[in-house]
Formats: sequence, structure tokens, C-alpha cells
Amino acid sequence: MIRSIYGKTLYDKRFFILGWTIGLAAIAALLVSFYPAMHQDDALGGLVQNMPAAFKGLIGSLADLSRFDTYIASQLFDIRLPLIAGIMAIILGIGLSVADEEKGELRTILSLPIGRTKLLIERWLAMVTILAVTLLGLLAGVYGVVPFIDGATIDMEIMARLVAMTGLMMVAFGTIPFAIGMISGKRAAAMAASVLVIIGSFLLSTFGQAVDWLGNYEKLSLLHYFPAVDIVKDGIDGKDAVVLGGITLVLLVVAIVVFRRRDVA
Amino acid sequence: MNDTSAVISLKNVTKQFGKFTAVGNVSLEIPAGQIVGFVGANGAGKTTTIATLLGFLNASQGEVKLFGKAIRPSAAHKSHKQIGYAAGDMELPAQLTGRQYLAFLGRQRKGGVDNYKDLLERFSPQLDKKIHTLSRGNKQKIALVAAFLGEPALVVLDEPTSGLDPVMQEAFLNIVREYKKRGKTVFMSSHYLQEVMDVCDRVLLMSHGKLEQDVTTAQLQAMGGKQVHVQTSYKATKPPKGAESITHQIDDDLLTLRFVYKGDMTELQRWLAAVKQLKDVEVSEYNLEEAFKSLYDSEEQAA
Repeated sequence: MIRSIYGKTLYDKRFFILGWTIGLAAIAALLVSFYPAMHQDDALGGLVQNMPAAFKGLIGSLADLSRFDTYIASQLFDIRLPLIAGIMAIILGIGLSVADEEKGELRTILSLPIGRTKLLIERWLAMVTILAVTLLGLLAGVYGVVPFIDGATIDMEIMARLVAMTGLMMVAFGTIPFAIGMISGKRAAAMAASVLVIIGSFLLSTFGQAVDWLGNYEKLSLLHYFPAVDIVKDGIDGKDAVVLGGITLVLLVVAIVVFRRRDVA
Repeated sequence: MNDTSAVISLKNVTKQFGKFTAVGNVSLEIPAGQIVGFVGANGAGKTTTIATLLGFLNASQGEVKLFGKAIRPSAAHKSHKQIGYAAGDMELPAQLTGRQYLAFLGRQRKGGVDNYKDLLERFSPQLDKKIHTLSRGNKQKIALVAAFLGEPALVVLDEPTSGLDPVMQEAFLNIVREYKKRGKTVFMSSHYLQEVMDVCDRVLLMSHGKLEQDVTTAQLQAMGGKQVHVQTSYKATKPPKGAESITHQIDDDLLTLRFVYKGDMTELQRWLAAVKQLKDVEVSEYNLEEAFKSLYDSEEQAA
């Protein structure tokens, strides 16, 4: 039985959860299965060396390909996963904030004895739960293939660090459209802000290292606070976690304050 | 009546969207046990008033109270424990079945749902299909079951029968009649005069965001009269004193005069006898339905 907004949201999104969990698991499994080819391929090294600096940012450091933990950090968790999972989080955040209002369902829910704060928090918690489930799918994809790959071992603690920071980043990516959707009730506003953040972050983080003037703004990228390879080598930088958590918390509080008072279409 | 005894109280309520005033300075009080019809043309401000009443919208000015407590969007849910709501164009949670939605709603109300089986028998909604697969009428049945579930003290309905067949309309009206007997309060907007006259004690007419009429159904009943249609070649003919809704039309040197007359019939007969060069006359009952339509027509013409 569906007992709460939290439960109803998870039920409504069951196919989304299934699809994205399988999708992330497949991507993880695919990238892990490329490990033997990538870390043994000298020709690739030569190719990358001859690339312009800006394109090297897309590939990552060749040294990172020699060890499995830095390989999955650079090839899965760095850039690719944040982009894919970020897009997923944005779709989810928009769906959970403005879709019901656009359809007129939000008034139906608010005509019940359900407070606006409770509704917003339960939906946000459902979003966090969905992101966590898809991350479990990602882990299943990695660990489903690892036993079949020579030399593919990774310390559980390192993987836990990567997953924790990925989760924090995905929640931040999802909270941006979610909060803006709840604040404005407008899909266009939530979509515009999200696209700006994800594309901007991608461009700043990818090309910021090679293009001087972009480099000055690299700290504005959300991806700056998720240095996957550094997390493997040196652990989580507390400041990064605080920034990602802080962005999420501030947006959530502002969303609650505004949503409690605004008109609902 | 003071605020605490009024189930619904609006004091000088205005709702503006930018420069557009959807509801302007509306005041009304509805005591417990009254069945109130809320009528007016499309765009008159009925739905906006209801949305403000339920806390979906903030009043730009004025005060809204339900059960004596001020309603603001942030705290409206506290009053919703005692309120059932359904609208003709209501969007129910599409991914749930009717049964899942009603169970969910029952849990939120945390009150008795003793009348659940009775409501299902009366409306026979399709409960085991996803709501998004249902026809408008079937969705409407579920919305009405939801509105009356647990017998809330106040039921607010926005054009509740717009998607229903006549049998279901009658089932709905029977429930409202029973509600009336039990001293519950119903506030319903409608475009159907017959259902308003059948079940309501009082009728409120909205026009251009203002509350233009607040009458009992008995007073509304008295609004009937005679529809008079006269043709004469004497173009200077004036309608009698007390004529309403007058229209003149001149075609081929013939004046056609139409009006509604609610005064003394002897006076009307005298006036007709005095009309010069009378070519044709027709006097028919001006029923309430026409009176109702004329209110709507004047709304739309003004718009």
C-alpha cells in the first residue's frame, strides 16, 4: 500500500529507477571490461600524446590507466559518470518538481491534509533514494565484471569514497532543478538553470585546464568538487564535500521557504 | 454571524495576477449546514475563488477563513482534514489505480472511511485500472468518491458533474441532499441551474471577479416572468414600465420588441391593447433557465 508522498513518488518512478539502474550498471560493466585493452595499449598512449591539450582533458592522464582504481576513477567516475548521472539527476529533479504542477496533479495532492514542507521534503528524499538505487546499480555493474578481468581489483574503501562523492554530486545536480522547479513552478526555469550548470561545469572542467581564461572560472564548475582520481589517491577533500553538501542544503532551504508560500497553478 | 461559526468566511478578498484582477473585493460567509451554489460564466472568477479558499493561491488582499482559522498556503493542510474537494477537470494521480488513490487518500485523512463501500456502490467507479487509462467520466467518479470519503464537514466542488452521465449526476445530487440532512456544508460551482435549484439553499453569482448576487434559491425562483415578443409597424412604440432585458430590432418598417416582464399581468394586457398598428404578439413563460442564461449572456457580452 502506498502510504506517503515518499512511497508514492518511488512507485511513480519505478520504471525510471529500473531503466537508469540497468543503464548505469551496463555503462559501468562496459567501461570496466575495457580495462585490459586500455592499460596495455601503447598505441593509445602515442595517440593521446599527440592530441591538443584540450582533448587530453577529455581522455585523462595516461598514467591513470595503469592501475584499475585510477582507471575507473578517470574513465568512469571522472567526466563520464558525472555527465550521465547529472543528466539523469536533472531529468529526475525536474520531473519531481514541476511535472505534477504542469499536469494539475499538485493541486489534487495539496487538497489533501498534506503540508507543503512535508511534500517537498518527502519528494526530495525520494529523489535521493532513487539516485542511491541507481548508484547501487553502478556498483553492481563494476563488481559484476571485476572477477572476470585480470588485474582488476579495487579496495572497498576507495570504492566507497568514490560512490559517496558521486552520490553527493548527483544529489547536488538533482537538487538544482528540483529546487528551482519548486520555487518557480516553471519547467523552463528549472531546465535552463540545470543545462547551464551541467554544460557549464563540463566545459569549465574539460577545457579549463588547457584554456587559460576558462581556467580562472574552473572553481565555478560543480565537477571541480569531484576530482575522482584525487579521491582515489588522496581521499575525500572535506572542502569538496562541504561545497556540494552546502549547495544542496541552501537550495533545499530556499525551496522550502518559497514553496510554502507561493501560488500553485 | 461571527467568524467562528462560519465554515467559510471571505472578507474583502482580492486576487490579482499582475494587473489583472481575477477576484475583486469579495466578501461572504457560509454557515455550517448550508448547501451553496456558486455560479457565473467562464472566467468570472469562481475557480480562482475556490483556489484561494483552499490555499492553492494567496489572496492579494483580504482574509480567508475556514472553520474560523485563517487560510494561508503554508498552513492550509491543517483545515483540509475536514474538507473534501473535487473539480470537473481535476487531475488525479495518473500512475495510481483508483483503489490505490482512495487508499492513499484515506491514510492522509486519518479519519473514518465508513462510507467507502456506500460511495462505491453509488458511483461504481473503475477502481483497478490506472487512472490515466480512464475516461473523464470515470475519473470524475473517483474524484467524487474521494471528495465525500470520510464525510468531511465541508465539501468544495468546482463544476463537479461536468463529466458525468445523467444517472451519475442524480447519484451525486442524492448524496448532496443527504449531506444537507446531516447538517454538512457543500460549496459547489456549477453551470447547471437545475442541479443548483435542486439541492442548494443559496446561490452566489460571480461576474467579472465580483460577487454580484447572493440570493436564496427561493429568491432565484421568483426571478421568473413572461417573455414578450411584439411586432408593430408603429416604430415609436415604447416597452411597458418594468420591462427588462429589452431588445429592439427594425426590419422592413417593422419594429420587433422583445422584453421580459415580471410585473402585474393586467398592466401588461393594458399596454398590449394600447400598442398601435400591432402586427404580432407572443407571450411565453420566461423560465428560470432563461433568466440564468441571460445572466451568463450579459457576462459574455461585457467580456
